[in-house]
Amino acid sequence: MSLMITCPICGKRNGYEFRFGGEERGPRPEEEGLTHEQWCDYVHMRSNIGGVQEEWWFHRDGCGSWFKIMRDTLTNLEVEVQEKT
Amino acid sequence: MKERLKNLPTLRVDPGIKIPFKYRGKRYHGMAGDSIASALYANGIRIFSRSLKYHRPRGLYSLNGECSNCLMQVDGIPNIRAETTPLKTGLSVRPQNVVGTPERDLMSFIDKFDRLMPAGFYYHYFHRPYRLWPFFQNRLRKAAGLGRIKPSFRIKGVFDEIYPNTDVCVIGAGPAGIQAALVAAEQGLRVIVLEARPWAGGFFDYRSSDYSPGLPLHQQARTEAEKLEENENIRFFPNTFMVGFYSHNLITAFQVGREQDYFNERYVEIRAESVVAATGCIERPLIFDHNERPGIMQVSCAHRLARTYGLLPGKRAVFSIGDNLGLESAIDLYDLGLQILCVADVRFDGQDPYLLEGLEKRDIPLLRGWIASKAHGSRTLKKVTVSTVDGMIGKDFQCDLLVASGGLTPAAGPLFLARAKMAYDFFTGFFLPEQLPPKVHTAGRLLGLSDSLSIEASGQVAGLCAAADCGVGVDIALKNAREKLEQLPGPVRGSKLVQAPGTGRKRFICFDEDVTIKNIYQACDLGFDKVELTKRFSTAGLGPGQGGIPGPNLPMIVAQYRQYYGDSSATVLPTTIRPPLVPVSLSTYAAGNHDMFKQTPLHGVMEKTPGVVFRRAGAWKRVRYFTDDFTCRSEIENVRNNVGIMDASTLGKFRIFGPDALKALQRVYVGDMSKISEGKIKYSAMCNEDGCLMDDGVVTKRRNNDYYFTSSSNRADTTVEWIRYHTRHENWDFNLVNLTDAFGVVNLAGPNARRVLEKITDADVSNEALPYAAYREFDLRGAISIRAMRLGFVGELSYELHVPASYMRTVWSLVFQAGGDYGIRPFGLEAQNVLRLEKGHVIIGQESEIRTTLHDLRLGFLWHRQKSLYKTVGAPALKFTEHQDGRMKLVGFKMENPERPAKDGAIIVDKTIQGHICTSRYSFTLGESIGLALVASDLADMGTRFEIFEDNMGDSRLYATVVPTPFYDPDGNRMKM
Repeated sequence: MSLMITCPICGKRNGYEFRFGGEERGPRPEEEGLTHEQWCDYVHMRSNIGGVQEEWWFHRDGCGSWFKIMRDTLTNLEVEVQEKT
Repeated sequence: MKERLKNLPTLRVDPGIKIPFKYRGKRYHGMAGDSIASALYANGIRIFSRSLKYHRPRGLYSLNGECSNCLMQVDGIPNIRAETTPLKTGLSVRPQNVVGTPERDLMSFIDKFDRLMPAGFYYHYFHRPYRLWPFFQNRLRKAAGLGRIKPSFRIKGVFDEIYPNTDVCVIGAGPAGIQAALVAAEQGLRVIVLEARPWAGGFFDYRSSDYSPGLPLHQQARTEAEKLEENENIRFFPNTFMVGFYSHNLITAFQVGREQDYFNERYVEIRAESVVAATGCIERPLIFDHNERPGIMQVSCAHRLARTYGLLPGKRAVFSIGDNLGLESAIDLYDLGLQILCVADVRFDGQDPYLLEGLEKRDIPLLRGWIASKAHGSRTLKKVTVSTVDGMIGKDFQCDLLVASGGLTPAAGPLFLARAKMAYDFFTGFFLPEQLPPKVHTAGRLLGLSDSLSIEASGQVAGLCAAADCGVGVDIALKNAREKLEQLPGPVRGSKLVQAPGTGRKRFICFDEDVTIKNIYQACDLGFDKVELTKRFSTAGLGPGQGGIPGPNLPMIVAQYRQYYGDSSATVLPTTIRPPLVPVSLSTYAAGNHDMFKQTPLHGVMEKTPGVVFRRAGAWKRVRYFTDDFTCRSEIENVRNNVGIMDASTLGKFRIFGPDALKALQRVYVGDMSKISEGKIKYSAMCNEDGCLMDDGVVTKRRNNDYYFTSSSNRADTTVEWIRYHTRHENWDFNLVNLTDAFGVVNLAGPNARRVLEKITDADVSNEALPYAAYREFDLRGAISIRAMRLGFVGELSYELHVPASYMRTVWSLVFQAGGDYGIRPFGLEAQNVLRLEKGHVIIGQESEIRTTLHDLRLGFLWHRQKSLYKTVGAPALKFTEHQDGRMKLVGFKMENPERPAKDGAIIVDKTIQGHICTSRYSFTLGESIGLALVASDLADMGTRFEIFEDNMGDSRLYATVVPTPFYDPDGNRMKM
């Protein structure tokens, strides 16, 4: 993969070293009062935008940390780096 | 066998080394250094193939692999580019697309019926009446395509792959590329240089005109090439063809192996900080009547045949050119012995006066403002008509060689792929980069330069720019290099002439697809008058050459057509270039395909054990059977009645510690992890967000905030990722360590297990001190510290000893020695499979599918409902699916015929499919056939009888009844002994 990703710990590395973790969709909802639909939406629905999105990546062949980046899905290029929360 | 030119300093062939090969079954010889094409040419072959549509004879044209003329079948592999493939001993070469012989092809009559095949003719014919279409489709499929291959063909050879990183990647080792590389290397940077030819030197390599007084170009080339190859910072890849260029300067290429290399081809993927493209130029074909006859060649083809391979390209030649290179090659070839009847130059003026003098001295007639307009000869060239550029007067010459070129065009494929902004330049006639992407530079003839010193200087500028990209301080050197370049001659005016005058039907713009100028006009007339449309409708440029022959001719002709119809704004736009730039075989892309697997610490010992049979289990190679009795009867009975030992080292093992370690465990495990105490293990499961079983394992607490837990072997590599993923929004303080490879595991199981264990440790391992579901740490023989747990997977008294991996072999042999009195024997995965089946225990992936929840597997009791505070992964889904209809359920069953187990994967049916058999075996312990199955919930009640269907059963069925599990020792007394 020609994509390069900036890991907050290891720096800019080849896309091959990482696993994609999906777009950022916020923390897990509280179980109190959760309906089927709300849970299904959280688990399965995605915004899938064409443009810059915030998403999670895992440095599988490196430090093993999960972190977020901003990536433009139209050019498949990382846009700016987010600090690991 | 053609006599070769001898003693030329430019020769790249060695007459001393003969290489035998076969062509059409007959034996021939070439020389070391020959390509397949040059070796064939040396042996008098002129017709290399027949063209796709019209079966016209085709021969050497570019000597660069630009078209399908010289695609041949080599050792059974079709579509090998003979011009760029080195000759190796014993190759068997055959022509392609020939019906009969290349000289007398039986399909060549089609050439006369070209009127019936206008552009896009297959859209009109063959489908009325529609029922005849399958017939035509088969005929067309047989006729289309050039090479032939049997589906059973297996390619032989070694295909490898490497992924080097570098500071600077230089594409093209011609004079500009060499300078760029040397300059960057001098700055201490790592440089990779890719070159398609077997040597560096490029455009200078075969030319005898002066670089400087007394120093011919070919010598300058060799001197600089030697510097390149000797430089420690430069890694030179000859015979390497660039195929792709991706974001962040990722370049893909493949390298063809020489006889002495260990590979046939290898895939090269390079990540470079900065790139210099110096790929030079190819030639633009001249279009006239029958412009593709064998005997018609491009300038550099004729010149290199002589200079590089020692082969005079013909006996009597006519030249039709438009630049100084054409004149230079005419003079040189004359000096090498070629008889030249005339040189037709489309230019009226602008020729290099030194070259004009050279022609005059040699009495070579020069016709200014003339051009080749027609080639004659039904198979090979016999005669050429040259005419004035306006077409008014013509003259014939009897000849066997026509060296024709419309001019130069840059080999800008890499720049297009790099998404440079390219625009047509009316002065040079080239597509030049208007804007390059960051950290990409160009040099040399790609920019329209032609003067030797300019080319080298531009290479130095590009190399310094690339060095600057890598952070080296080169401001002053770069300023000087730019100034030097400015003093030297700039880009030269290029010839833009596309077509000679004439209106014949056989004026070819694309050789691969047999597309003529008439076809282009037909396509435009039908409305396909934008070049991307024209290309697709006419198929010009869609063949193996991928536009190497049509080149800029196509957009120029379409622009002319649009101007004719009043669109004078028509700019010349290239068609989109996509990777691969050059044909790559799938075996090269597949490359290594190494069978990699993990071994346990006991692998070496197991390999030496007689009778073992290994099987792949995920990433691992594990012992499945210890004898050739695949029912594993003796292994199973030994565990039930005596004591067996198994290598369970692949088990995932982890340490989690820190103030929030418990929170993390609660997040991923469905059980109540707060109940774990020291000295006890807790069995629990992990689910995904759909409540489906992902993994199971045991957890124990070693100290406060410090836990040790296991996972199934297949999840050993993803458990850490999983836990960190599901806690990523929290700011919890915990650490995870993957200890899977740090510990081996010995599973000691059977009623005599304790007696064996007692012999190797002083620790108290009685049932009171080490009961079922306990965890203890103690030493073996007072020296080896181990972690021990008692579990019940196989349903007997069983110890899992977690041993530091470096001690595994010692512990294994210790246990074996201690168990000698009891006849201890090892057991493998299949034996374990049956033992656990008899207990009704689930193996993830065997009894579970990604859609089976804990409830479906009757493991819902593992789920602790009152922990919503921890937002456990999968808990909402477990709640929602607990009483959901229409789900599959896991059941145990007994076969009606006790001797006949079902096959794993057989399906359960009534009128439709209602489920499948997960595992079924004959149980020696119970004396009957049992199994576990996933069935529709309305077949899941105790006592239900269901039907089983196996492949090829026809109407017969097997029958089974749902029974409770465990089948063996339902009260679990054996495990708790």
